[in-house]
Amino acid sequence: MFFLSLIEHTLRLPPHLLDLPLNEAIKGELESLFLDKVIANLGLCISVYDIRSIDGGFVFPGDGASTYTVEFRLVMFRPFVGEIITAKLKESDANGLQLSLGFFDDIYIPVHLMPNPCHCEPDPENKSQVIWIWDYQEQKFPIDGLDEIRFQVQSVSYPPIPVEQPKESKPFAPMMIMGSLDYDGLGPVSWW
Amino acid sequence: MKIKKANAGALTNFEVLDFLRSRGAAKDPTRVIAPIAASEFKVYDYLVESAACNQTRESINELLDKCKKYDLAKAEILNIINIRPASPVEIDPIIEESEKRMGEGIEDLIEMVTTVLPPPPTQMNTGEEVVAGDEEIADGEQTATAMATEN
Repeated sequence: MFFLSLIEHTLRLPPHLLDLPLNEAIKGELESLFLDKVIANLGLCISVYDIRSIDGGFVFPGDGASTYTVEFRLVMFRPFVGEIITAKLKESDANGLQLSLGFFDDIYIPVHLMPNPCHCEPDPENKSQVIWIWDYQEQKFPIDGLDEIRFQVQSVSYPPIPVEQPKESKPFAPMMIMGSLDYDGLGPVSWW
Repeated sequence: MKIKKANAGALTNFEVLDFLRSRGAAKDPTRVIAPIAASEFKVYDYLVESAACNQTRESINELLDKCKKYDLAKAEILNIINIRPASPVEIDPIIEESEKRMGEGIEDLIEMVTTVLPPPPTQMNTGEEVVAGDEEIADGEQTATAMATEN
């Protein structure tokens, strides 16, 4: 689920941080720059693991801040295809399920990757949501929001940033995970 | 920004949890003082409820040693450490073509995983108390046979 990535970045350190020890100031800047942000094809940055080297410290003319070239490692969240992950149900509608990991919400299970055969029923409690039920050997297994759901990662995609978005559409998701429940041992933990 | 190495090594859930703990993450109210960002806390909360929360470095090393004879791919071992499967049906999506490649070995693998890695809190709560008695006896036998073979 998690990988280390080695990144080199040229960093500008604002003058108001000059009283801090260099390591801390650079770590703080890196965190505000990268933490909780998605880097294309690398994944979601979780944390700064360590700083390998700090170079430079030049002050360019006309600028009050010093510039450093830093080499560091980041802990990235990037599940590989075929990985099994346990997540909680967030929303369920006619197009499929949306699962959430707490720190990452854009996990979708489309209809064609649900266990076969299954059908959906309108949820009596919540009008905009439906409950998906798996019909297996004449027994019904509903997917309710009670326990955790295990799914297999089918693909991880990074849609390009849209230039214009119509109002009131879903906020843009820079990283989307497509998952599948269509296999033995997948689905809510209580089924197995 | 230059990406020097996109993949400088895979991390198990336990290693990320250990790293966050070493920086001061915890469940209790001291979290406001710890130098950990809110987004990192969300990761910590997720990991603490998964199978990684009671693992130790030694138990993972032990599991790696014992998995060598099954000839599993690195991704499969990573999945096993993160999920801690407790039955053959849970192994099925993790190991491709498990019946062809391992056949009977699946049962041995499950038993080895359940004895080496401690169970996650959710598995312990859901009525595992009855089985716990049997597992304890099995633990004793396993460690006895392991010591016997070492001697």
